[in-house]
Amino acid sequence: MRRKPLCFPPSARSLSQRIRGDAMTVAEKAQALLRRRLCSPTFAHAAFKSSPESNYSKLRFLISSSIAEACNNSVLLLGPRGSGKIAVVELVLEDLKAEHPDAISVIRLNGLLHSDDNCALKEIARQLCVEHQLLFSKMASSDDNSQFVMDMLRECGLAHKTIIVILDEFDLFTQGKQRLLYSLLDAMQTLISQAVVIGVSCRLDADQLLEKRIRSRFSHRKLLFVPPSKEDVQRLLECLLHLPKDSSFPSKYVTEFNRRLSNILSDKKFKEVLDSLLDVDGSVSNLLRLLFRAVSYMDMESGLLSLENFKSAYLCTYRQPKIDNLEDASILELYILVCMNRLETKEQNSYNFNSIMKEYKAIHDAYKTSDNYANNVCLRAFEHLLEQELIGFTDSKGRTPSIEFHPVKLLISSRELYQGLTSNSSCPAILQKLFDHESYK
Amino acid sequence: MHGTPQKSRPKSSPRRPKTSPGAPPTPESATPRRSLRRISCISEPKSPQTPIPRVAKSLATDRLETPRSARKSRKSLLCSEKTPSKAPTFSPVTPNPPESKKRKRSETGESKPRASRTPKGRVYYKKVVYDGGEFEVGDDVYVKRREGAESDDEDPEVEACRICFQSGRLVMIECDDCLGGFHLKCLKPRLKKIPEGEWICRFCEARKMGKEVELPKPPEGKKLSRTAKEKLLSSDLWAARIESFWKEPDGIYWMKCRWYMIPEETVVGRQPHNLRRELYRTNDFSDVEMESVLRHCYVMSPKDFREADNEGDDVFYCEYEYDVHWHNFKRITDIDNDDEDGEEAGNDEEWKFPEDLHGDIDENSEYEEHKTIDYSAQKNRTHELAANSHKGRIFGLQRIGIKKIPEHVRSHKQTDLEKAKATLLLATLPKSLPCRNKEMEEIAAFIKGAICDDQCLGRCLYIHGVPGTGKTMSVLAVMRNLRSEVDAGTIRPYCFVDINGLKLSSPENIYRVIYETLSSRRVGWKKALHYLNERFSDGTKVGKEENKPCVLLIDELDLLLTRNQSVLYNILDWPTKPHSKLIVIGISNTMDLPEKLLPRISSRMGIQRLCFGPYNYQQLQEIISSRLRGLEAFEEQAIEFASRKVAAMSGDARRALEICRRAAELADYRLKQMSQSKQSSFPVDTSKGKHLVGMTDVEAAIQEVFQAPHIRIMKNCSKLSKVMLVAMVHELYRSGLGEITFERLATTVHSLCSSNGEVLPGWDTLLKIGCKLGESRIILCEEGTKHRLQKLQLNFPSDDVAFALKDCSEVPWLSKYL
Repeated sequence: MRRKPLCFPPSARSLSQRIRGDAMTVAEKAQALLRRRLCSPTFAHAAFKSSPESNYSKLRFLISSSIAEACNNSVLLLGPRGSGKIAVVELVLEDLKAEHPDAISVIRLNGLLHSDDNCALKEIARQLCVEHQLLFSKMASSDDNSQFVMDMLRECGLAHKTIIVILDEFDLFTQGKQRLLYSLLDAMQTLISQAVVIGVSCRLDADQLLEKRIRSRFSHRKLLFVPPSKEDVQRLLECLLHLPKDSSFPSKYVTEFNRRLSNILSDKKFKEVLDSLLDVDGSVSNLLRLLFRAVSYMDMESGLLSLENFKSAYLCTYRQPKIDNLEDASILELYILVCMNRLETKEQNSYNFNSIMKEYKAIHDAYKTSDNYANNVCLRAFEHLLEQELIGFTDSKGRTPSIEFHPVKLLISSRELYQGLTSNSSCPAILQKLFDHESYK
Repeated sequence: MHGTPQKSRPKSSPRRPKTSPGAPPTPESATPRRSLRRISCISEPKSPQTPIPRVAKSLATDRLETPRSARKSRKSLLCSEKTPSKAPTFSPVTPNPPESKKRKRSETGESKPRASRTPKGRVYYKKVVYDGGEFEVGDDVYVKRREGAESDDEDPEVEACRICFQSGRLVMIECDDCLGGFHLKCLKPRLKKIPEGEWICRFCEARKMGKEVELPKPPEGKKLSRTAKEKLLSSDLWAARIESFWKEPDGIYWMKCRWYMIPEETVVGRQPHNLRRELYRTNDFSDVEMESVLRHCYVMSPKDFREADNEGDDVFYCEYEYDVHWHNFKRITDIDNDDEDGEEAGNDEEWKFPEDLHGDIDENSEYEEHKTIDYSAQKNRTHELAANSHKGRIFGLQRIGIKKIPEHVRSHKQTDLEKAKATLLLATLPKSLPCRNKEMEEIAAFIKGAICDDQCLGRCLYIHGVPGTGKTMSVLAVMRNLRSEVDAGTIRPYCFVDINGLKLSSPENIYRVIYETLSSRRVGWKKALHYLNERFSDGTKVGKEENKPCVLLIDELDLLLTRNQSVLYNILDWPTKPHSKLIVIGISNTMDLPEKLLPRISSRMGIQRLCFGPYNYQQLQEIISSRLRGLEAFEEQAIEFASRKVAAMSGDARRALEICRRAAELADYRLKQMSQSKQSSFPVDTSKGKHLVGMTDVEAAIQEVFQAPHIRIMKNCSKLSKVMLVAMVHELYRSGLGEITFERLATTVHSLCSSNGEVLPGWDTLLKIGCKLGESRIILCEEGTKHRLQKLQLNFPSDDVAFALKDCSEVPWLSKYL
């Protein structure tokens, strides 16, 4: 056996081998390829490139025609999170940059970072300077910066260069006076410039947030990103998971892998798993997350995917954190929760730790349980519950120093509590009885 | 200020290190050749007899990148590197002008000697008659380039036919490729008249086909003489634009000129899309003796060039400016020639060259000084040269030009649809501004009255109207018209300050901006306020400008509101002062802005108002069709439909134009997709009707603009989200309340699911779905940490949900609950 460096734990062997690149098995290579595909932000969306109805070709036409015809445009990309808005923009830009080298400069802003007008202008100026190898000064005033941006817009327009401004989280740019948007859009309709403003937002009413004079200047192009249809998902799956025929893999392995994969994809059970996933969230990113898990579970001995991988991956994504918390809760914590639930069913709307303790004592007195704990122990359990956010303060403001007197609320419903009690293995029978007793009578 | 040329030249010597390769972070700032040209221009000896400029030129021929002159240029380059100081030895022949030409220098009446103002003895002229030709500042001329060329003496004005080699009076046609001239009768087959469009001679046609062509040889004893145009295009002559003239004390006439360049001389060489007669304007200036000027030529903008069909042989086309330092191209704007936008273009005008020097030497040397400072500063003061700071902007921006003019821009033939898209752009200024004549007359009358009035007391106009009704555009158009009237001398000159409230970083900054435009000095706003108060209240002069009336246009006036409204008060108070001569025009959207202000402000502002009502559909229709005149792109009803729809919604002209542009875009997209898909199967069948933008396109565009996209999202969202939305509508309807807690909603979802045999989702899953819906604002919800206490409400009417989900194939049972 070869000597290994001591610092590598045995489990890291495969890693160290991979670093040396000598003993990467076919299965590992295949897994790496699939993972790379699944992690790349644009690969999944490249599958829909060719269809004329796709957002890719629409956006591409929009931008390339404004490059070719030297005009301005502004467009909003709307759609829920994870539907690939930015990915499509990146794809389009990549293609157009290859087509028109040296004629496109891209400015990227994010509403989370640059919602302040002055800061956004500065950032635009900085990125323009970097793009065109100009000196940038941090000290320039915002007036200078905005003047510079206007000048650049005009000069670039004269030089047939297009400036593409991508405003991610567009809705956040609409806070305040919207000076940035106004000056950009106003410049686009007064100067001889060649610019495209792309707003990206997950809020469907993003254009309603614009002030009316800005809305009037905005050219209302909207591209809507919707989750893929069932057929598209099927196509996407094939395109994502099938190994390429003409690659370094042995052809026998590739055919075997692909055959197994098509079997899985047409399996009824797999369809069930897929449906229950997409019932919750049909976005592409959600799908990719599942596939990545499944690929990671791949059996490295055979190097083939199986239905089990997808199932276990699905179970991982399908978690109910609150039920899980209840399953692991201690008996005392369960007592406290049940007490709170009892108080609420008694329609006592405002209660705090002390009133819970009173209820706890009452139960104890009535049923003579063995689980009698001192007040300070109960307080510890109470704090723990607070941290887990199973219970919470009714108002976060005006926090008094002692939490005993602070009014609290139960944050889980009685149905969840019931589910938790039944699944908790250490739950005393009396507690379940208590709970049953009062909620179903 | 240094007055004499002797002084100013040494002063400009710091330029030399700048162009030498050692200095700035310029990419390849100075090849020795170019700097030589430059240096030799600068270090010209004082005796103007030596023909240095010409030497410089012969050196500069080295720049040619064409193979034709490569050999020659290398040789001369070598020499020039060895003996730069001996540059004059290069031209062996002193350019004695041909004796045949009679010398006559006379100053025309218009020339205005300024000897009194320029102490160093240079006399500047605007117009000079020299060698029988009349030259004016701004004219384009041929400049001699090489001495001793044998055929330079003869300068045939009319070129000879390429076939019969006679010049004669007969009609000739020019080949668009080789620019050779042909008599119509010499062609085979003969042409009766000049054909429309492009025409290519049969030699070029044959050459294109790949055949060897033998051009007809000129008859014995007769040499084919070349015209000036041909010499220029084969770089034996230069073209330049005259920037200024002067007479040195010793009586020699000089001019400062701006060179033109033929495409072969640029770094990228001739590109396939270059026209034969194309030239580039450079930013390269030099001083040349008037001796070397040959005669006029005409370099025209693309528009003029297209119209100039029969203006003779010396017509050239110029669309781009070429930067000799950075080797890049930029379109030439109209602004350069248009004085009215001078203030906007001011900052790069400064860099280029004062276009109209008016023979003022002060300005000239100021420029020189400025430039020197710029370059020396480059090394030590990096902040000042940062492109986004005020000072550096002048320096940085010429770098932006494109290295190579993209082919698609030039060789692309626009279809009608694309032309329509271009004219519908908001940025394109239409030739006429229909539908606002009354308002424009009113504004013009107001301003004229205010200017002509000697006192012009308390003049203030408030213009209001909803966005997109042409308020700013009308005012600017009126100002343009007035400007031309000032030029014609019918009204007094005035100064015009244009400010946009939304582009100021704070309301107080307006003082600074006003002061800067009036006096072109930058100070803090407090100081600016002080100076402006002095000027407007007490009548002291600011800067050098005389006491002209001042028109102040404030767009988006409502943005100037501060807490104590002092900015607005100050600005509106100045016009009431006796010496102010200030006229304020405020533009804003709200009708009752004056009423919302403090009474002392509204009494100053609210007197004269002008309302821009929303456009009605006929007006919108006229606006659109006036832009589209002459283009066959839109169906008539389509325009009417769009304008009616917009007039009903907002009456916003921008919106109407954008809808039409979007419709054109959609039609264009459809056509291009169709032609793409058809290309594979069979040749494109483009019937006439399909090229037009029809009702469907407009309809689609209107949908996109006016309809919120939520219905489509609801139709396409996941199954559980649909169930949740339906449960919400159901529960809200039952309770009659506006909002619902998450607990109730979840129980309803559960009961819906269980009664219809669906899998029961977990509460945490439901919470996640609720948050996702909240993110896209289909529902409004509190933050998710509140769990079951979270309150939710629908953001759209429940009818929309019912409409979207009524016949959903995925979950058919939903319709029961709607």
